Amino acid sequence: MINNEITTAIGTEGLGEQSWWVQQWMELINSYRYKKRLGRAWNYAREGNVMSIRFEGRRIHARVQGTEQQPYKIKVWLDVLEDEDWKYVIDALARKAKWSAQLLAGEMPIDIEKAFATTGKRLFPFNLQEIKSECTCPDKANPCKHISAVYFLMGEQFKEDPFILFQLRGRDKNKLLSDIAKRRILINKEDLDTTKTLQKQPNQNNKEIVSTSLMNSPDHWWSYKANLDDDLVVITTAPEETAGPSIAGELPLAKDPKFPKSHKTFIKNLISHSQNQAQKAMLEAMSPKKISENIE
Amino acid sequence: MSLLHATWLSKNWPNSNCPVLFLWADQWKVATPANYQFEPSCHPYALTNKELKNWLSSKELLPQKLADQSACLTLPSKVLKAKIDHDHQNSTNKAYPSLPLQAEELISNKYEWWPWKIEGIALTSLEASRWLAQLPLNNDSNLGEELLWWTHLQRWSLNLIAHGLWLPQVKLNTFKTSQRARWVPLLNQENERKRLEEFTKRMPLVTNCAVPWKTSKAETSTAKNSNKSEELSIYNPLASFRPRHNRLEVMEILEEILDAQLRNEFKPNDEDLDPLLAQWQEALGSENGSLDLDIEDTKRLVKATRSWKEGLSTKVRAAKTCLQLIAPVNNDDPWQLEFLLQAEADDALKVSACKVWASDSNELKIGNIKIEEASEILLEGLGRTLKYFPVIERGLEIPTPTGVKLSPAEAFVLIKTAAAKLRDCGVGVILPKSLSKGLASRLGITITAELKENSQGTMLREKLQWNWEFMIGGIKLTIQELARLSNKKSPLLNHKGTWIELRPNDKKNTEEFIANPPELSLNEALQLTATEGNTLKKLPVHHFAAGPRLKNVLEQYHHQKKPEAIATPEGFIGKLRPYQQLGLGWLAFLNRFNQGACLADDMGLGKTIQLLAFIQHLKNLNELSKPLLLIAPTSVLTNWKREASKFTPELCLMEHYGSKRCSDQKKFREELRTIDILLTSYGLLYRDNELFKEINWHGIVIDEAQTIKNPKSKQSLAIRNISQNLTSNPLKIALTGTPIENRVSEIWAMMNFLNPKVLGDENFFNQRYKLPIEHYGDISSMNDLKIRVNPFILRRIKTDKSIISDLPKKIELIEWINLSKEQQKLYNQTVEKSLTELNATSPNLRHGKTLGLLTRLKQICNHPALALKEKHIDTDFFKRSTKLQRLEEILDEVIASNERALLFTQFSEWGSLLQQYLERKYACEIFFLHGGTSKNNRQIMIDRFQEDPRGPNLFLLSLKAGGLGLNLTRASHVFHIDRWWNPAVENQATDRAYRIGQTKSVMVHKFIIKGSIEEKIHQMIIKKSKLAEDIVGSGENWLSTLNIEDLRKLIVLDNNHNEF
Repeated sequence: MINNEITTAIGTEGLGEQSWWVQQWMELINSYRYKKRLGRAWNYAREGNVMSIRFEGRRIHARVQGTEQQPYKIKVWLDVLEDEDWKYVIDALARKAKWSAQLLAGEMPIDIEKAFATTGKRLFPFNLQEIKSECTCPDKANPCKHISAVYFLMGEQFKEDPFILFQLRGRDKNKLLSDIAKRRILINKEDLDTTKTLQKQPNQNNKEIVSTSLMNSPDHWWSYKANLDDDLVVITTAPEETAGPSIAGELPLAKDPKFPKSHKTFIKNLISHSQNQAQKAMLEAMSPKKISENIE
Repeated sequence: MSLLHATWLSKNWPNSNCPVLFLWADQWKVATPANYQFEPSCHPYALTNKELKNWLSSKELLPQKLADQSACLTLPSKVLKAKIDHDHQNSTNKAYPSLPLQAEELISNKYEWWPWKIEGIALTSLEASRWLAQLPLNNDSNLGEELLWWTHLQRWSLNLIAHGLWLPQVKLNTFKTSQRARWVPLLNQENERKRLEEFTKRMPLVTNCAVPWKTSKAETSTAKNSNKSEELSIYNPLASFRPRHNRLEVMEILEEILDAQLRNEFKPNDEDLDPLLAQWQEALGSENGSLDLDIEDTKRLVKATRSWKEGLSTKVRAAKTCLQLIAPVNNDDPWQLEFLLQAEADDALKVSACKVWASDSNELKIGNIKIEEASEILLEGLGRTLKYFPVIERGLEIPTPTGVKLSPAEAFVLIKTAAAKLRDCGVGVILPKSLSKGLASRLGITITAELKENSQGTMLREKLQWNWEFMIGGIKLTIQELARLSNKKSPLLNHKGTWIELRPNDKKNTEEFIANPPELSLNEALQLTATEGNTLKKLPVHHFAAGPRLKNVLEQYHHQKKPEAIATPEGFIGKLRPYQQLGLGWLAFLNRFNQGACLADDMGLGKTIQLLAFIQHLKNLNELSKPLLLIAPTSVLTNWKREASKFTPELCLMEHYGSKRCSDQKKFREELRTIDILLTSYGLLYRDNELFKEINWHGIVIDEAQTIKNPKSKQSLAIRNISQNLTSNPLKIALTGTPIENRVSEIWAMMNFLNPKVLGDENFFNQRYKLPIEHYGDISSMNDLKIRVNPFILRRIKTDKSIISDLPKKIELIEWINLSKEQQKLYNQTVEKSLTELNATSPNLRHGKTLGLLTRLKQICNHPALALKEKHIDTDFFKRSTKLQRLEEILDEVIASNERALLFTQFSEWGSLLQQYLERKYACEIFFLHGGTSKNNRQIMIDRFQEDPRGPNLFLLSLKAGGLGLNLTRASHVFHIDRWWNPAVENQATDRAYRIGQTKSVMVHKFIIKGSIEEKIHQMIIKKSKLAEDIVGSGENWLSTLNIEDLRKLIVLDNNHNEF
């Protein structure tokens, strides 16, 4: 029996670092009434019985090792929005620059459901019943523990890519973005047309743009007159905290519950490589070897 | 000479597995233009694999691991003639005879781009990174300039590694649909992005001009002729290929170099890793990084690692989102933050969000730069901005936002913290000038200053009259205003319509300044005005307004204003050219400040004359109370005497040289009493140091000042000894023709002589300047050094626009030289012996003997080895001939300024000896054209001298074989090492260089041994005596008509000036 709610796919570790949409997904799973079955599913997920999860078009295909020799095949899907509905959603998305901005910067806008409100539909499933699933196991209950195990891991998958939810609802990233862009241009035109009658378009006082085209002259073919940048003359190391592996944060990659330390160890290895190499690079920059000295 | 090049062969080609750095070299030779048809021709100047390796090996540049490689490169080429075959309608039968252009070649207007096949060697990225790290960071004559770009790029990669600016990624290969684990540079910081743009902009195109050549199928298949052009365009789109400056290509190269280095030493440790990460890590440490994963896992890794990296930094694209903060005019109005799109290549190129939204096709142009997905870029940048500066959210509620209003507090957050974070994730931020981080935004002072009323501005230590006011953001500030503003609680203050920020230290610094205002000396004024960004008592000096009299002094010091010319002084015979009068003015100006001066004019501009005129000028002003010590190399002592007696006969010049020179202190002082200039050599300065030390000279002049470049040499020591003992500001002048300001190691010794305080002691100098400049090519140190020494060096070059109009097209320079001991002895012996013999010879046979004697004497004047018929040069070769010594001094300057010279002699044996000697001395090839040169070789020499951009600087010619008919206008110097009786013959030889097609002034150097037969010939030619007419008319025959006594007069060495 599990007393505490499971907050991430691999346990309570990392609570608060989760993106809100991953958290929301976990809350949805935790709303399941049959806690015992949920506990068993959690163990399944953690022990690595979920062999694979694939997003194929609008469906998720997974394979979970159950009691039988062959893994069970599982399908998970959501209700797809009609084209008519998408029209409204895209119009709404295009009317608020913030949403596109965040999506393009890799964030799921927290108020994204508002864009779906006019259609009466949702992006996130409201309850577990909205998540459609099939499993090849003999268990009649839906979701069975195999399906629930997949649910747990899907949260991790969402953090790899916020656009997956849109995909499950029937629009992949490229189509979605280009539709929004087209709609935005139209809206912009309409707005301009209406304002034009009232006032002139604000005159942008940008200076006349100067061209800086680079000529392909033969001089430029051979010649390089630049001097070494000041900060490349003496090369120093930077503090560890500013190195790429230190500031990049967590890998947006679903964790394998069987290897809970995996991500942290991976980053740790990178940071240690970064420090070693930084020291070495600094020394090398200080006293370059002569070619004749370079004997392997 | 060969020149090494390096070109990147990209991985994105069908026939290459991994990218390589392709090294190749070219060397000019005579080549027939190649016809381009279906296949690129072989580059006619390129070295073969084998030649290249041998050459690299001889230069100690051969990489450790390499592979033979050939490649096809697009190079600018001269197309000589386009023949169109009218008989065939087929357009592919056009022939384009062309030759590739070479680096350093003079570029004509007409060129086209053609592909050339070239052999060379290939280095893997790892080997390339190692090899590049070992190349010098400044120019090397064996390396093409683009190698410097490569070494700088390698150093950039080291810097990225030292700062940990990278992330591992998984990338899909476009062609092979396989995936590789890669170490990828992370250019999130603004300065690294700027650097990428700089590297892109400055990339020499030769680094990236390879074309993916595949043998055309048209050649091997039986396809009909008519299909050829079509196949050509399919398989070999060569003629249309143009490399360009592309940041993505620079990124690719940088990535390869960085990846190779990080991969090489990565030791994967699989402990605790899940299988996916373990495989990825394994691949990051493997040689080629290939990952064996199923397609689903691959996609996940590619996507996950990409968004991992993009979480830190936007992709490198042509433009970025930019936020511009605009301050309100009134205190109570809100601040405005405008959204823009800004070109990466040029910060000045911007478009407003308004235009981005209006661009229909989602493709926009800023200037000439095409921006794809403009609105996506803008939106993505705004999305990133939301993370670090969330207040803009309220501006993003509408479809096409163009900006947002901010409260003063929000604007302050942006300025203080958010701007830096945004810049480091690829979003540009433009702040009002008075609030940006630049120096102008700091509280500083503005100065007005003038010389004191009765002062002429001649003492560096003298105090100036001056006022100062506080200034910030370009606006003045009184003390009261400052107090009032600093009492306000708000961090951003509106001062007279300009928004400023006062920093905590500002108050403290200004209080200290007010409490204890410093005095300002002329010397400080000079330093404050030399560069931007100076501070005075911790406060930046924003503006320095000098009064008219002070301004006059400062501008002359900084060479901003021409010195006041001094007209040709009375007593000087002849007339100074305008630039020489300016030179005099400049010497007088520095002398007024008791500062040493280095006159470094180009050879032939008359340094000697300017100095003599200047001394005459001092004498006329009664400023020359004591004698002046003039030190010069032995080889030019005679020249000095000659010039002095010719131009300034009123100056009393005494030579301290030779065996009869004064050695007694008392007598020496006695002698000095009546003279103006004492002339001596560097050698004697050291030997007779005790004698010189005791004299209180008016000053010291050193000629050929590069002689004392080694501060530890005897000569330098001797000069230091003497100058230390001088009381009261001696005059110090150094003369040199070499571009001293570029020779870091020599500059300290010279400044130490002229003005010791300017560069400090030697250790300090080496640490501060020599090491950074010579080791790393550090430009800011070099600039700083130049600024420091600039006031004390005057260098005009022949090609200066202001000079060239003053200069004649042909300048004749006569070098008067004494004989060395050995030459003198040999000369005297020969004369005596021959005269005795001639006396005993019957008049009929005398003719031949006389000619033989004259020839031998001329040979002795050149070099004893020539007269003694030695075939090889010995170790003392240089010491034995003074003519050679002087020749070498001048050739040093010719070579230092990369000019070309013709050297004529009438003795081909002398030519071969000189060729041997000079080739060894300058470690380069030197041609010698003489009567025995084959016609073929002769043409090669001429072509290479004229056409080869890296051809030899020096060309030896025998007067007879090379004096006529050749066109050698690449030379701007002509040397007549020995004299010919007939000036017309000499002039014809000179005209090889001085003729139509010559664009520079030609310097004609004539060498004459003082007192010898050479001088006699010279005098006769000048006097145009009856005798001379005979000479001109009949060559040497007249000599046989001389009687013994006349002959003796002609040949005997006039001993007056040749004592030892």
